[in-house]
Amino acid sequence: MSNLSVFLNGKIGSLILNFEHHFQNDGITILYGPNGSGKSTIISALGGFINNLETRIFFNGNEIHDIDKFPPNKRQFGIMFQNPILFEHLSVEENLDFVTKRNQINTQNKSSISKEYLINQLELNSLLKRSPENLSGGEKLRVVLARTILKNPNYLLLDEPMSDLDIKYKAKLLFFLKDFNKKFKIPILYITHSIEEITQIGDQIVLIKNGKKIDSGSVSNVLNRSSFVDLTGKFESSSILEGIVSRHDQNLHMTTLDLNGQKLIVPGLPGKLNDIVRVRIRSRDILLSSSRVKTQITENELQGLISSIEIEKNSAFTELVIVLKNFKNNRKKQKLRARIMTYTLKNKKLLIHDNVFIYVSSVSIDRQAYQSK
Amino acid sequence: MDIYHHLSSDFIAILITLKLAIVTCFFLALIGTPLAYFLAFKSKKTKPFIETIVTLPLVLPPTVIGFYLIIIFSPETALGKIFIILTGEQLIFSFYGLVLASIIYSLPFWVQPLQASFEKIGRDTIRTSYSLGAGPLDTFFNVIIPLCKKGFFTSFIISFAHTLGEFGIVLMVGGGIHGKTKVIAISIYDHVEQLSFGKAHILAGGMLILSFIILLTLFYFNKRTVVKVK
Repeated sequence: MSNLSVFLNGKIGSLILNFEHHFQNDGITILYGPNGSGKSTIISALGGFINNLETRIFFNGNEIHDIDKFPPNKRQFGIMFQNPILFEHLSVEENLDFVTKRNQINTQNKSSISKEYLINQLELNSLLKRSPENLSGGEKLRVVLARTILKNPNYLLLDEPMSDLDIKYKAKLLFFLKDFNKKFKIPILYITHSIEEITQIGDQIVLIKNGKKIDSGSVSNVLNRSSFVDLTGKFESSSILEGIVSRHDQNLHMTTLDLNGQKLIVPGLPGKLNDIVRVRIRSRDILLSSSRVKTQITENELQGLISSIEIEKNSAFTELVIVLKNFKNNRKKQKLRARIMTYTLKNKKLLIHDNVFIYVSSVSIDRQAYQSK
Repeated sequence: MDIYHHLSSDFIAILITLKLAIVTCFFLALIGTPLAYFLAFKSKKTKPFIETIVTLPLVLPPTVIGFYLIIIFSPETALGKIFIILTGEQLIFSFYGLVLASIIYSLPFWVQPLQASFEKIGRDTIRTSYSLGAGPLDTFFNVIIPLCKKGFFTSFIISFAHTLGEFGIVLMVGGGIHGKTKVIAISIYDHVEQLSFGKAHILAGGMLILSFIILLTLFYFNKRTVVKVK
């Protein structure tokens, strides 16, 4: 199924790359890993900018790694580099035209992405006549994104596009990207350090460390695996849960999810009723109690069974895995990681196979920027 | 009659000087620009070596360069022979010998500002342009040149002014032949040697004013661009 296969082998500076992956040809694939693990190098290699690596790239059945035969300007990727650049001698509109002038054949081929669509979606109208010198960071980023997409690429490669953006705009742009991805069926490879962004837009994820692929798969699966926790560190440890939208409260902007018969209230989601959506709960945001707490301390109370207890050596913390009670029995078991003080574990006398009540504040729950299916 | 003769001789020297500066800058644009580009983006291991060679004319006494050029340009060498075959003339003591010497002597003045300008716009700009579908030549003419206007202007002005003011090499390689290789700087030297201070004053003052105006233009232009950027 996959139409983009990448194989990289060799040494760049102190980094030894030995990476191989078959990227999905739809949706959004996240590339995640520590700084210097080779994420940007992969994008550079795809773009044809690296010639001292053993590189094999297959795209739509063609070998395209030969830089002489497929120089960077002939490749059908839309690349947004980590340090996005607008040509300062051109106005914003001329920057956009730079691409359309050079990619006319592409534009006619597909049910194409029009300049008007992007100007509309990314709110560029008031910027068109301006010079890039006078744009704010966020404005610049929108223009660069529009210019990259305007190429009508077969694959979009985005290297930490949102790292400089304020939260308000980030949510808007993430929603746009997800929507764009579905509408035009252009797959996206997305590098990010933000677990929030992964939860919000990722479909697939590839983990990379020291130039090697560590794990890959769907976001819901991989984020619950130890391979991911190893990369983020225990402090960022979290769980992904899937729930069915069972109620929207339009006035209070909140959504109720059904987690195998248990209720979870989250801040409003755009999903329709009965859509399956994903939420992320950080392990450190979970409160546990062996008995039901009478006064309502958080919006949510879930029930589960402790399936493992791991007391961390030389630290104050304990990590527990809790299997959520399945009152409906119609869906797969869901697990939740909790990180608590070892003191609390001892104090409350929590043991393996104990029933526990789980308390989570809705404010601390991350959710998708869209409906998944 | 005698006065008129001398004035016209100075006038010819002025024309030769200007012609030399223009022709030199033309060839510097052709040779120095790719060299600056190479130094800014392409080279890795060879960069310090090439940079050293390009910068040597800055530190060497003009007589050292002149001395070696006389040897290289002599009719006995391959270069000298080829030139005679092509033009029927000796390279040494010819106008084109002067041009060649000036190119070498002024090369760092063309390469360095331009290289700095290229380095400032950086590899990322070029990658961006390529990834948007522009080939190397397209990128060079439609992205790099417009973005490096200031660098080109600086290189041109400094190289031009520097070529106008050459003395040592021009004297050694060109011989100061009237109507052929005698430039303003040599004319001034001759006037002073003959104690014709009045004529020396005219030429020296002219050079001073011209150089002042050229540099003022450069700094005024560059300052204005900086203000525009902010």
